[in-house]
Amino acid sequence: MWELDAPTLITVLTIGFSTIGIVLGCIVPAIMEGIATKQALESMGRQPDAANDLRTTLLISMALLESTAIYVLLVILILIFVNPLLDRFFI
Amino acid sequence: MESVTPQVVFTIFGLPIKDTVVSTWVIMVILIAFAWFIRKYKPGIAEIIIDSISGIIATVMPDDTKVIKFLSILGTLAMFLIIANIFSIIPFMVAPTANINTTIALAVVVFFAVHGFGILEKGPWGYIKSVASPIFILPLEIVSQLSRTLSLSIRLFGNILSTDLVVAIVFSIIPFILPLPLVALSLLTGVLQAYIFTVLASVYIASAVVVEDKETERRRLKHEASQPS
Repeated sequence: MWELDAPTLITVLTIGFSTIGIVLGCIVPAIMEGIATKQALESMGRQPDAANDLRTTLLISMALLESTAIYVLLVILILIFVNPLLDRFFI
Repeated sequence: MESVTPQVVFTIFGLPIKDTVVSTWVIMVILIAFAWFIRKYKPGIAEIIIDSISGIIATVMPDDTKVIKFLSILGTLAMFLIIANIFSIIPFMVAPTANINTTIALAVVVFFAVHGFGILEKGPWGYIKSVASPIFILPLEIVSQLSRTLSLSIRLFGNILSTDLVVAIVFSIIPFILPLPLVALSLLTGVLQAYIFTVLASVYIASAVVVEDKETERRRLKHEASQPS
């Protein structure tokens, strides 16, 4: 097998698992936002009078759903650019 | 990463001044000069701005709330954030909200404003009673207040930083036409996040100041029943 030193191994593992993490962390909020938008559009089509209230509520809930994907992105940015394991143990 | 993380511009007595702080100062000068200008020459523009912002706030508050009490802090937040989020399109400037210290400061301001307006509206004892009406609600309430402050700051920071980072990465690969749609996306995201920050702050303030006792509930139901929709 290849001879990898510890910092290289940690970097490779971090990048691999970060990729898996951001894929999973983007799929779930995207599906949920799609469901929320679908329901809001159906409600707008059924009751056009309430479209303004629905739009405000939809934007707020989309922001709340979107923030979970942003949390994943922030954790992964920290892991890739300022990796705490590399900083603490090897440099 | 160096193009979007804050850089030290100069130091005052050993205290490093980052470029996001300089951008905040520039935005403060712009806002003060703009306010002075429209007060002096164009008072109609101020009316349009106040009407639109108070209309946005009034959509998420309960119907009989006086929006003008909260307009000073929420309108300042909205105008500052709209300019601050799209400030990175000016050359040699960075968006101040791409630094997490700015957004944490804004979220802490919102946190204290929520409790301050709640205490002003209901009195100290009434506010405590409304927050902890069964006493076991109190730890949940404390956790929810802290987590909403954290999520408010991290949402704004993450959105602005991620769009700036995407533009920087694409610009480092292909520095021709291709970054333009992403710049447009970052403008859209910035304005939308300013709107969302303001609306969420007004939702939190509304949840602190609303008095939902049985009498107003009964009156509201009667009012809705009398109006056929």
